[in-house]
Amino acid sequence: MQIDKDVVTHLNRLLAFELTSIDQYMEHSRRYEDLGLNKLYERINHEVDDERGHADLLIRRILFLEGKPDMETRHELRLGKTVPQMIEGDLALERENAKTLREVISHCEKVKDFVTRDMLVGILKDTEEDHAYWLRKQLGLIEKLGLPLYLQSQL
Amino acid sequence: MYVCLCKGVSDHTIRQAVDDGLSSMRELRQQYGVASQCGCCKQCAKEVLADALQQKQRRFAQESLIDTDVCYA
Amino acid sequence: MLGNQQVLQQLNRVLTHKLTAINQYFLHARMYQNWGLQALNDRIYKASIHEMKYADDIIERILLLEGLPNLQELGKLLIGEAPAEMLALDAKLQRSDIDAIREAMAICEEQQDYVSRDMLNHILDGQEEHVDWLDTQLDLIEQMGVETYLQSKL
Repeated sequence: MQIDKDVVTHLNRLLAFELTSIDQYMEHSRRYEDLGLNKLYERINHEVDDERGHADLLIRRILFLEGKPDMETRHELRLGKTVPQMIEGDLALERENAKTLREVISHCEKVKDFVTRDMLVGILKDTEEDHAYWLRKQLGLIEKLGLPLYLQSQL
Repeated sequence: MYVCLCKGVSDHTIRQAVDDGLSSMRELRQQYGVASQCGCCKQCAKEVLADALQQKQRRFAQESLIDTDVCYA
Repeated sequence: MLGNQQVLQQLNRVLTHKLTAINQYFLHARMYQNWGLQALNDRIYKASIHEMKYADDIIERILLLEGLPNLQELGKLLIGEAPAEMLALDAKLQRSDIDAIREAMAICEEQQDYVSRDMLNHILDGQEEHVDWLDTQLDLIEQMGVETYLQSKL
C-alpha cells in the first residue's frame, strides 16, 4: 500500500539514524565494558536493543508502504574516547535524531499518514524521555560529583 | 535559594543585580518581576535586598579603606 | 461550635505549615529525581506524602470540631538550587513546623483539648524523626564532602 512516496524517503533517513545509533552504541558499550564500567555497559547495551527495536519498526513500515529499506546509509558517527566524550557524542546523535523525527512527523501529518505518524511519536517519546534525558542526567551528575566519583558509581 | 518562585528569581540573581547597581524593590519588580504575581516573596525579597545592599556597602567601605592606605604609603 | 476558638486557630496554623511542607518536599523530591539522585527523591517524596497524611488528620479534626480548615493559605516555599542547600532549607522549614506544633500543643493542654493535643504529639513525633534524618544528612555532607555524599544517593 502506498500513501505518499516521500514518506518512504523520510523513513529511510530515520532508519539511517537508528542504524548509526546501533553502531555507535555497540562501540561505546563495549568500550565501557573494557574500561570496567559495567553499569554503563549494561545501560548502553540495552540502548542498542532499543534502537534495534526502532529500526525494526521502521523497516516493517517501509516494506508495508512498498518501499525499499536502505540498510547501507549511515550518518556521521560520533565516537568518543573518554566517558564524557562518549556521553556527549551519544547525546548529540539523539538530539539530531529527535530533530529529524519532528520534521518527519510534521510531514506525515501533512500527507495524512497518521499510522506512520503515530509510530514515530512513540520513537520520539523514547528518544526524548528515555535516551536523551538519561544522557543529560549523567552529564549533570558528572558536574555535581566530579568525574572520578561518577565513574566509581558506574563500576 | 529561589526567592520568587513565580518568576524563578534566586537570591544569587538579586545579589548580582545589586552589585550591578540595582537598589530598590521597585527596580527589582520592574526588571525581574519579583513580587509581581502572587506576592508571597515580598518579605523575603526585601530581606535579601537589604542584606545585599548592606554587604555591598561594607565591601565598598573596606575597599576605600585600602585605597587610603595605599595613598598614604 | 464544638471546638475551642483558640485551638481551632492553632490547628489551622499547623495546617498551613503542613500544606507548605507538602509542596516544598514534593518539588525538592522531583528536582533530585531530575538530577538522577534517585535515593534522595524516594526519601523526600515519602516525606511529602507523610506531610499530606498529617494535613489530612488535622483537616478531619478541624471539621470534627466544627471549624473550617483553611486550605487556601500557604507559607513561603523555601526552594533551594543545589542538593545541600535544599536539605538545609528542608531542615529550616521542619524546625519552624516543630515550633508551631509545640505552641499549638501547649494551647491544647491549656484548653483541655487532650485529643487534639495527642494528635499533634503524634505528628510531632514524625517531624522530629524527619528533622533528625535531615540533620544527619547535613552532618554527613560536612564530613565526607557533598560530592561523595551525593554519590551515595544515586
